[in-house]
Amino acid sequence: MVSKKPQTGGAVLFNVLQQHGVEHVFGYPGGAIMPIYDALYDSDIKHFLCRHEQGASFSAIGYARASQKVGVCLATSGPGATNLITGLADALSDSIPVVAITGQVAMASMGSDAFQEIDIFGLSLACTKHSFQVRDVNELAGILHQAFAIALEGRQGPVLVDIPKDIQSALVDEPVDNVCIAKPTLVNPEDNFLLKNEPANVGTALALFNQAKKPVLYVGGGVGMADAVTELREFISVTGIPSVSTLKGLGAVEPTDKCYLGMLGMHGTKAANLAVQQCDLLIAVGARFDDRVTGKLAEFAPNAKIIHFDIDQAEINKRRKVDVSILGDLKVNLPALAIPLSIQEWYGECQHMRESFAWRYDHPGENIFAPALLKEISSTMAKNTVITTDVGQHQMWSAQHMSFDHPTNFLTSGGMGTMGFGLPAAIGAQISRPDDMVIAVTGDGSFMMNVQELSTIKRFQLPVKIVLIDNSKLGMVRQWQDLFFDGRLSETDLSDNPDFVMLANAFDIKSKVITKKEQVSAAINEMLTHDGAYLLQVKIDATDNVWPLVPPNTANDKMMEST
Amino acid sequence: MQQHTLRITAQDQPTVLERLLQVTRYRGFIVTGMTMFPSVDESVLDIELTVQSDKSIDHLHHQLNKLIDVSEISVNESDALKCRA
Repeated sequence: MVSKKPQTGGAVLFNVLQQHGVEHVFGYPGGAIMPIYDALYDSDIKHFLCRHEQGASFSAIGYARASQKVGVCLATSGPGATNLITGLADALSDSIPVVAITGQVAMASMGSDAFQEIDIFGLSLACTKHSFQVRDVNELAGILHQAFAIALEGRQGPVLVDIPKDIQSALVDEPVDNVCIAKPTLVNPEDNFLLKNEPANVGTALALFNQAKKPVLYVGGGVGMADAVTELREFISVTGIPSVSTLKGLGAVEPTDKCYLGMLGMHGTKAANLAVQQCDLLIAVGARFDDRVTGKLAEFAPNAKIIHFDIDQAEINKRRKVDVSILGDLKVNLPALAIPLSIQEWYGECQHMRESFAWRYDHPGENIFAPALLKEISSTMAKNTVITTDVGQHQMWSAQHMSFDHPTNFLTSGGMGTMGFGLPAAIGAQISRPDDMVIAVTGDGSFMMNVQELSTIKRFQLPVKIVLIDNSKLGMVRQWQDLFFDGRLSETDLSDNPDFVMLANAFDIKSKVITKKEQVSAAINEMLTHDGAYLLQVKIDATDNVWPLVPPNTANDKMMEST
Repeated sequence: MQQHTLRITAQDQPTVLERLLQVTRYRGFIVTGMTMFPSVDESVLDIELTVQSDKSIDHLHHQLNKLIDVSEISVNESDALKCRA
């Protein structure tokens, strides 16, 4: 309702957020955002106080990714704003819709090197999809509407709105209400493929489909972002095409599909990489030929013609020249090109590769084998459990050995590879989906990067589970040092880590450490059935490596499988 | 190294020039010339940007086209010439 009281910029902010259906925001107050926090005091929006602005930005990302809504975070000027930067970069790299609100010093002080003044508007250029600085309180509502539209339209991404302190407390001429406005229809008619694509492209694509004897579908994060999981699965069902996935695409293909070969690329499955190297048609769907996917680009899928489905024209021909591009919304374009294919022989070969190169979990000795533990968690947890990860060995093991039935159930920092992502992302996911279990799989290096967010878990009594794979090392860098730097282990030893159980207990979080295989099943059961937050510290051998591994500047079929 | 001229129509917003230059630099192009003309109503800028790189101009064209403030962009092919450098 429109209040009769004069409305400040701060009140306008929260009313417009409510118009866009925002119920939860993540942030941290400070001097130059105090009028906004004063308005928050009267708002129905629930604010989650994080313990570092970077945590707030990752929680907003986790919230957005788990719920397919826009994530919102708030920070003050200067260091508050700069602490958001890593989260904005992460959201840009993984195309996540986030609206970040920063306080700025008052307009009269701007440009004077005032206390806690930084040109966040300038800093935002390289790490946002777009950014705004509000100069007139009467333009604030319109700018916020634009920010939400830009965050969501086309290829999604982060938008920053910088609001000077005097604008936050200035009164608007026309108050705005807080009534939620209707959601736009999911499929934009302008994204119809016939309008965006030359009919010749569609014809050529269909001809390539029909000619292909060994096609592979290369599924990226764009499928989940386009809310096109159902359409993708129908496409696979109609065409009978073998498929592989990027890190961010995991969950889009039904993991039980008989010809789904898993993740491709640097730590991809042998079956996925061999199939892509052998294929004669590669159909990229919402994927961008990232260097971690392609390995040596000149030798990636060397015999394949390429069809590229994407919403972002700038991705077409960026790294790999394509034969046909189909631009626009996958939700519309995938069904339009789904035709049955006659590829029984190839289907059989791929199915055979899936079976003969299946993961093996035999591991000598008593010590815990992280892939087996993660597989056991994956097969024990409830269907709609959300897994978040940090970055490193545990991340690749999670991608390889856990199964996800929707991209919103696997949240990992893909493009930016940001350590410290997992815990705050899990907090955001838990708040957006309070009825689902959320498990943060982390490593002893990554965990310490945003460990202060344990306090957010305590404050809001969030039942987040944490599985800390502990090798007392920066494991992935250690693995590379052993393999490619003559074993010169420079600055990767973390044997002086804190006592993680004691640390968790300090935040009222129940915790346990396990070191032997025989303890695994009971510990998983205890964690999953515990009513509340839980940290399971899993000690593993410091020398365990992630396999397979495609070495740098090497074709994907020349993967290392052990030392 | 190829030299190309881009004709850009953009909203006259603060940072629009910084955005154009930031993307141009990040995507591996060197600016060799830039001219800017405000439109009559001052809400729109016409910008002529001359750049050189050994990369495809299509990459820069598409990346600049994604900027929210850019309303039109075209590559003037007749201006393309081989640099001696």
